[in-house]
Amino acid sequence: MAVVTPLDHIRNFSIIAHIDHGKSTLADRILERTGTVAPRDMKEQLLDKMDLERERGITIKSQAVRIAYAARDGQTYQLNLIDTPGHVDFTYEVSRSLAACEGAVLLVDATQGVEAQTVANAYLAVDNDLEIIPVLNKIDLPASDVPEAEMELHELTGATHDEILTISAKTGEGVDEVLEAVVQRTPPPEGDPTAPPRALIFDSEYDQYRGVIAYVRVVDGHFDRRQLVTLMSTGQGAEIEELGSFGPGMTPAERLETGEVGYIITGVKDVAQVRVGDTITDRRRPAGEALPGYKVVHPMVFTGLFPTEGDKFEELRDALEKLKLNDAALLYEPESSVALGFGFRCGFLGLLHMDIVRERLEREYGLELITTMPNVEYHAHLTGGGMAVVRNPAQMPEANSIERVEEPYVTASILVPSQFVGTIMELCQGRRADFVDMKYLSPERVEMHYRLPLAEIVLDFFDQLKTRTRGYASLDYDYSGYRASDLVKLDVLLAGEPVDALSLIIPRESAHQRGKALVTKLRQKIPRQLFEVPVQAAIGNKVVARETVKAVRKDVTAKCYGGDISRKRKLLEKQKEGKKRMKQLGVVEVPQEAFLAVLELEPGAKGR
Amino acid sequence: MHGGETPRPPFDGPVRHVYVHVPFCRARCDYCAFASVAVGGGGSATDVPRLFDAYVEGVAAEWERERAAHDVRRLRTLYLGGGTPSLLGPDRLERLLTVFRPHLTPQAEVTVEVNPEDAGTEFAAWAAGARRSPGSGALRGVRISLGVQSFLPELRAALGRTAQADPRAAFDRLRAAGVASIGLDLIHGIPGQTPELLAGDIATVLDLRPDHVSWYELDVSEGTALARRLARAEGTAGGGRRAAPVAALADDVRAAGYRRLVRALSRAGYDWYEVSNFARPGHKARHNLACWRARPYLGLGPGAVSTVGARRWTNSADPRAWAAALAAGRRPTRSVEELDDATRARERLLLAARCGEPVPLEAVSAVVDPDALAASAGAGLVSVRGGTLRVTRKGRHVADGLCVRLFRAPRLRG
Repeated sequence: MAVVTPLDHIRNFSIIAHIDHGKSTLADRILERTGTVAPRDMKEQLLDKMDLERERGITIKSQAVRIAYAARDGQTYQLNLIDTPGHVDFTYEVSRSLAACEGAVLLVDATQGVEAQTVANAYLAVDNDLEIIPVLNKIDLPASDVPEAEMELHELTGATHDEILTISAKTGEGVDEVLEAVVQRTPPPEGDPTAPPRALIFDSEYDQYRGVIAYVRVVDGHFDRRQLVTLMSTGQGAEIEELGSFGPGMTPAERLETGEVGYIITGVKDVAQVRVGDTITDRRRPAGEALPGYKVVHPMVFTGLFPTEGDKFEELRDALEKLKLNDAALLYEPESSVALGFGFRCGFLGLLHMDIVRERLEREYGLELITTMPNVEYHAHLTGGGMAVVRNPAQMPEANSIERVEEPYVTASILVPSQFVGTIMELCQGRRADFVDMKYLSPERVEMHYRLPLAEIVLDFFDQLKTRTRGYASLDYDYSGYRASDLVKLDVLLAGEPVDALSLIIPRESAHQRGKALVTKLRQKIPRQLFEVPVQAAIGNKVVARETVKAVRKDVTAKCYGGDISRKRKLLEKQKEGKKRMKQLGVVEVPQEAFLAVLELEPGAKGR
Repeated sequence: MHGGETPRPPFDGPVRHVYVHVPFCRARCDYCAFASVAVGGGGSATDVPRLFDAYVEGVAAEWERERAAHDVRRLRTLYLGGGTPSLLGPDRLERLLTVFRPHLTPQAEVTVEVNPEDAGTEFAAWAAGARRSPGSGALRGVRISLGVQSFLPELRAALGRTAQADPRAAFDRLRAAGVASIGLDLIHGIPGQTPELLAGDIATVLDLRPDHVSWYELDVSEGTALARRLARAEGTAGGGRRAAPVAALADDVRAAGYRRLVRALSRAGYDWYEVSNFARPGHKARHNLACWRARPYLGLGPGAVSTVGARRWTNSADPRAWAAALAAGRRPTRSVEELDDATRARERLLLAARCGEPVPLEAVSAVVDPDALAASAGAGLVSVRGGTLRVTRKGRHVADGLCVRLFRAPRLRG
């Protein structure tokens, strides 16, 4: 039986940082120095369990770990470290994880300084009333510029020189000071142990044997094994089958006390029933009010996923079903395309989320997929009243029935060395972006704000930003609602027939240039056919670009006598078999590679 | 209903056509992938006459077996191909013909493939005289198919044809002797055959006015000497040395050459009745047409192929083993392929496509994708009228791709 830790000896904190600033390394060091993980069990990025997370050096799912820390004041504290995803796609999950904490270590790479996600995460911490502990990392590197980074951190958080820690997570220098600061500066949890119990779900995970595992922070009261509970947003009832803490593996316990972080397993099989941000309470003695901040997240980016082999449709559906078990934000509905056959229109939180899902489908389920151009959700307001939600360009109503089309906008915050200000302005001008404001974090670094369509970000804004600033710029963005735009649907026609999978919704002014690029690429990639095939890009009936695939001049072998007939026939039958991977579009045969080439031409379709 | 074609299954019916494969050559040509044995000068080596005699005896024995097995009464066509049938010489050829004479109808077409170096005056006299030899009232004429390849020695050399005999002179001798139907066998797309050189061959053909022309595009089969040489040429491309082997012609150049010769021969009154075959009125090769119309045929000799009904078989290619089996009263070993209905229907279509022969739709509808048929008709590659499908001349240029397109997709596995 575990000893109950008094509330004032609990510290719940997380580490927040821009990607690559050393978050996972610091977490590894903390686990090592506190003896939470035995040296022989230690490996890099210990808290990132998925292969994908380790390979890419990113965190996708939140993790928590309980640490017993013997502080310099002679007391032993229970520290709960919550490791959060760092990417903008998972902002909501990050915000819920932070809501489960009282303190945050804001980690900044001293060679890079404050980046866009540093700012976004710092404000998330501020919004959740967390104590911020600013830490400069990588001071062992010669390129580190501590005074400059310190100044930026001061501007961001108001922290003074004495309050900003300088460490090297790699060598371990200063890591003990971080732990001390967590104990000294982070306030203990403030819950009411006698109130009706409430726990915040800050992440959840699906286990095929045990159902959904909810990651929770107990805010008030306590939870026991076998307790009957209710999920407050849905009213779903359940019985706690197991609960416990992370050490870092799941360690069962009889009770989770006020202020503690741990997990609860109820046997509920559907992650959609155990949503991030929801509140768990006691069924017989329910809390009057749910914890604030719950919302259902909506996918922002959509794409069609099609198996390259038509008969793999069922497998794709099964795989999506399984991923969905662990990913409430993933949306998918069957879609059929003349060009690509049967597949799914899938909705994602953002491009990274999309990439992750696609990669897991290919890697863990062995599926080969064609991904159509990602697009956002458009709102087409109709002349006769009403609104059509368009998640697939092919769904766009006829132009003459549309009063206006609205698309989602974001407010983007771009942090960049000041010499690139002109470059950024130039880039944003070409991306339908409205300048909001600009401020100098220091004489060398500028924070610029723009409002621009999410579609531009989905296209290739980020890649362009990185390319044009040699990697120095960083980007963060927030959704800021729908606005009307002059958008058109661009269709690609082969021999006069539209190819649904290649339709795009794009700003009218770029239709000609994009259309030209599309048809040129297609013409190059479609092999000569038995007859001439016009390749056109059109808005409605108006053709904006045209190319022609020439007809084959000769395709017949010279000899076919008695002995040749079998050989000849088998050859032709084999060729027919080989055409299974060709898509028949009306009278035109299009190899899959042609689609891939065209989709690749659209830069946003590429992985990051 | 007049002229109504009975939709008889392909290759069904009584056998009326025989092909005899003569598997001997002086030397193997560089492009040849046929079953043939190089026998040097022909008749000089001691065992060659014995080999030839054994061969003729073998054909006679095989014919007797197969004739009985398939109850063949009358022959409409007989084709002696190779290899180099003329290498046997007039005497043995005469003995060979004697075997079949009793069964040939008065209108029967007998074809012998001849190389220019064999077409001397003696041979020409035999070829022309064969129609008048005693007891041959049943035989009207021997068609000669003369293996020219090209009239230009340097292009023949590019093919590894070293014989110096002038094909033009051979043609003239055959004509002068009174051979009634002479066809020329030519090749285009030879490495080094520029459009100008091809035009030269076309002009010569039109000047000679043969009764029949077979003009094949060079097919470089894997494993042939030519294939190896072209591979070497590719390796040295860019070196530009004269000594380097000549590289293969580009596809575009070959396609253009083909179009050019089709146009030229058609304009000169030749009927382009198969992908590579052209004939003046009354001179189509009836034997080959019968095969292309999916009529049953027997093949005799080593490596020969037969198709009767739902079965196709191929004799083993070794002439000695073949002859030994027949001498011992056994059937030579053969590999057999059973043809199901769909396979036969597909063959029917692919053969008809090459000739522009009409095919009753019902005979092939089980293997043809109706959407592809409609699309191809829309593009002018096939015509469908009155329940009959016919591949147009335009379609014939792309007959392979067209068939692939027309065939119904194979069932997806699993």
